[in-house]
Parts: sequence; C-alpha cells; structure tokens
Amino acid sequence: MKRNLKIFNGILFVLLVILILSPIVLDDQFILNVLIQILMYATIATAWNLLGGYAGQLSLGHALFFGIGAYTATILHINYGISPWLGMIIVVAVCIILCAIIGLPTFRLKGPFFTLATIAFAEVARHLALYWRELTNGSVGINIKFDPSFTNMIFQKFDTYYLLILLLLVVTLFITYCIDRNKMGYYLKAIREDEDAAKTLGINATKYKMYALILSASITGIVGVFYAQFILFFEPESVFNINISAQVALIAIVGGMGTVFGPLLGAFIVIPLNELLRATFPEIHGMNYFIYGVLLIVIIIITPNGLYPILKKLWLRFFVKDSSKGAGN
Amino acid sequence: MLLLQTLIAGLLLGGMYALISMGLNMILGVVRIINFAHGEFLMIAMYLSYLFFIWGNLDPYVSAILIVIILFFIGALTQKLLIEPIIDKPAPTKIFATLGLSIALQNLALMVFDANYLSVKTSYQTSVVTLFNLSISVPRLLAFVVAILVVIALYYFLQKTMVGRAIRAVSMQRTAAHLMGINVKRIYMVAFGIGTALVGVAGSMLLPIYSVFPTVGASFVLIAFVVVVLGGMGNMFGAFYGGLIIGVVESFAGVLISPGVKEIVYFIIFLLVLLIKPAGLFSKGKGSEEVGL
Repeated sequence: MKRNLKIFNGILFVLLVILILSPIVLDDQFILNVLIQILMYATIATAWNLLGGYAGQLSLGHALFFGIGAYTATILHINYGISPWLGMIIVVAVCIILCAIIGLPTFRLKGPFFTLATIAFAEVARHLALYWRELTNGSVGINIKFDPSFTNMIFQKFDTYYLLILLLLVVTLFITYCIDRNKMGYYLKAIREDEDAAKTLGINATKYKMYALILSASITGIVGVFYAQFILFFEPESVFNINISAQVALIAIVGGMGTVFGPLLGAFIVIPLNELLRATFPEIHGMNYFIYGVLLIVIIIITPNGLYPILKKLWLRFFVKDSSKGAGN
Repeated sequence: MLLLQTLIAGLLLGGMYALISMGLNMILGVVRIINFAHGEFLMIAMYLSYLFFIWGNLDPYVSAILIVIILFFIGALTQKLLIEPIIDKPAPTKIFATLGLSIALQNLALMVFDANYLSVKTSYQTSVVTLFNLSISVPRLLAFVVAILVVIALYYFLQKTMVGRAIRAVSMQRTAAHLMGINVKRIYMVAFGIGTALVGVAGSMLLPIYSVFPTVGASFVLIAFVVVVLGGMGNMFGAFYGGLIIGVVESFAGVLISPGVKEIVYFIIFLLVLLIKPAGLFSKGKGSEEVGL
C-alpha cells in the first residue's frame, strides 16, 4: 500500500520536473503567462490548505496577505529604495502581526468567527488602501517602473519569473509535505476533526492554529511581493479582491483539502477553466463568471472532498487489482 | 443640532441594516448556514422592484407586497434545492455552495442588466419633512417605519404562532425539535424564506433611496455580517439593535471623521466585540458560540 502511494507521488514528481522543463521547450509567452498564474495560485492555495485543509480554519480573506505583500514591498521599494528581496522579510513580519490580531481573538471561539474576521480584515484593507492616498495612491494604483535588475526583482524574460514562482511552489509543497509527515500535521488534523478531543489529549490548539495561520499568511504575502514585481501595476481592487480569496479556497477544495498535492491539482483545473471561460464568452459581460459560479456549486456538491482523493483511490484500485493477479500466478 | 440630525440619519439608515441583518441571522440561527448569497437576494429584490416600476408602473412601496412573496419563495426554493442536499456536509461545502450562488447571481445580473446604475424617479423621492428644525427625508423615514413594523410583526409571529414557536425550537435544539414532531426540513424552508423575505422588504424600501447594480448586495452583506456578530449569532433581536447601532456609528463616522473610513470603524467595533463579548452584545449566554458552520 505504502509503496504504491510512493509510486503515485513519484509520478506527480515527474510531472513537476516536466513542468520545470516545459517553458524552455515551449517558449510561448501566452502559455508561460498562464502557467505563471497557475503556479502563483497553486502556491497560495497550498499555503491556504495548511490552514484551511489541515487545521480546518477556513479563511476567506487570503487576499489580505496577498495585498499586504504587494503593497508593503512596493511602497518600501519605491519610497525607500529597499529591495523587494529584503521587503519579503518585512512583509512576513507584517503578516505575523496581522495574524496575531486576527487569530488571538477568534481562535479561542468555535463557529464561523474566524471566517468572518478574515473577510472583514480583507475588506477593511481594501478600503484603507483606497482611502490612504498619500501612501497607496488610492484607486489609481501603483505603477512600478520597468527597470530590470536582480535587486529590483524585475526581469527581462518571463522564464525567470516562472522559475522563481516554481521555486516558491516547490518550497511550499515541501513545507506542506514535512508538516503532513510530522507531528504538527497530526496535531492540526486532530484539531480539525475534534478540537475539544485534541485539547483533552494535551494539544495546545490555539498555538498550532496560530503556527498554521502564520505560515500560510507569510507564504501568501511573499507571493504578493512576487505578483507586484511580475505584473508591475496593481490597485486595491486587484489585490485585495474577495474573489482572490474565494478562488484560492476554491482551488484547494476542488483539488482536495488536507492533501499535499491537492491544491496543485486544483490550480491546474480551476485557472485554465477560468481562462477558457473568459476566452469563450468575451462579448457577454458576466457570462464566464456565471458559469464559473454554477460549476462551483456542482463540483462542490459532487466531490466535497476534492479530486485528489478520487485520483488516489482510482490509482490504488487499479494497482491493487494488478498485484492480486500477480500473486495468483 | 447637527448631532441630533446625525443621530436621526443614522437610526433611519440602521433600520435598513437591521432588516437585512435579521434576515441573515434568521437563516444563520435556524438553518445554521452563513448565507453568502444574502446580498444577492437584496439585489434581486431591488431589480424586481425596478422592473415592476418600469413595466407595471407600480410604486416600489406597492410592489413591496409582491416582492416579499416572491422573495419568500425564492428563499424556500434555495433551501430546498441547494441547501437541503448538503445540510450534513462539511463546512467548506456549505460555504462554497452559497458563495457559488452569490457569484452566479451577481454575474447573471451583469449579463441581464449590464453594470449600469439603475434607479427610479418618484415624486416623493426628494421630499423632506421638517420636525423641530430637523429635516428628515421622507423615503428614509418611510423605510424606517416599515422596518419597525416588520420587526414587531416578526416578534409576534415568532412568539405567538405555532410556526414561530417551531422555528424557535429548531434554532435552539434541532434534534429535540425533531423528536417533538416538528418537520425540521419544512421549518428550514420557512426560516430561509422569511430570511430572504426580510431582504425583499429591505430591497423595496431601498430602491427609492439607492441605485441598483449587480454588486449592490456585497456592501450591505458585509455590514450585515458585522451586525450579526455585534448582536449575537442567531439572536434575531440582537441583530435589530445591532443594525441601529451600526447605522448610527456609520452616520457619526461620516460626519465627524470622513465618509471613507466607515468600514474601518465597523471593523474596529467587530474586533472589539470579538475580543470582549464574542457571544454578542445582547446575548445572555454563550449560545451564539455554538452556532457551527
């Protein structure tokens, strides 16, 4: 059983390697752009999954950390000349402070308080960014000068961005994998399944939920930094948008919450679907998102546990049948 | 005088927030689901009111009766078709079912009506009554009076009628209510219907004051979330007072600081409530903490 799963994960690993090599072979700017988007969302969704999938704390406000990443690093870069690479560290610090403000009051409560708090915080950040014009340029948004250099984290070619976000994704997947195999993963799952029982067994639930939140938020913030340096223009509506928060959670859920590779799988389904719908109905406003919303309901009802467990089950069934035949001979 | 004027403006606004939040809280308290599509039901009510006005020349206050009935059935159907099949599924499923509905409805409106701001023109729209040197907008005053009447009617319905008692019983203990012979599924439909019907009232009352556009519900539903936490999850009348409080706070924040910061003020209140009294300002016990997703 365990060995079969290893092979299964090995196949996924090979797919990952193909991913690394594909842009060099393809050399198509459009596909590369979509791939960067997919990997970006895959990274945030994997980070979201640490908190939502493993610890069972559903955030619908991850755009908060994404936007904080974009704004903090860019403002520091433009106003004080601090390199976005250094900015990442400051972004992580800001995210930790935000996590404390959100997590400390809500993690001791049961019920949907955490979810509501994350929505509220993301919305407030959006309004703050719109209101505080001296700092954020308000609804006009921030334009980053295209000045390629390593310290500016701005690159001539998409390839570099691609490898950068891929690296970030692999690191995030690795962290998830380690947590999944480690006692922290078991703690988080115990908290998700029954918090009271977990506490009775001596798990400090608030502390571990906090760890998961901080990790999740920090990675999302770093992706926000990447996004700003990649897209070079953003505004409050484009980074603090609740649709980003919802999309991230959706990707993790479609792929499979509480699994290492589920969110990655989800990103490869949801983002291309989104692009496809947008390309198919360009003239009717709202048509693509209408279908998207309907599909969302249908997918959620049909496969509440996501696609990764289904794939895994199919693989195991196929493989177990095969091996039993071998034993018969 | 300015303070009193601001207070009245806030209370009038708060009446609308109270109606919307009470609908949300009814669904949350009874069906135990956060209805993320709640704002979209408000949007539907406003568009219906607009269409009745344009096609049937019906005044928004007259068509309100029709809209309440239509919205009740839309809510009951939503419960039957969308929520009932997933009522025992894990929390993310429930959240994303209503979130998906919200996205679909918003964009359906975008497809049908485009992103234009639509509004109606009525004779009384800009009329003002003056009382002791205070000027009060007539449609806003009417909206507030209707909100109060609806709240009183709802109170009697919940306290005195059999269905009302059944709704309260289900919200307290669904298993025990079921054992007492209450048809829980039907009560869910009725509660969801009433929740959306309340939004129908709010939408009808809002149309003479606001414009309608596909995302009009989003801003109101965020306020409703804050109000619900402020008043206590599942506590219907907590939501009423909470709505009035938020209305007054918004009004004062707009006058004293700047209209752009009102959301930031809500959020500070939201956070303080979570820190100090998470069960809500008007709750006796810790009942609201038990409202799981």
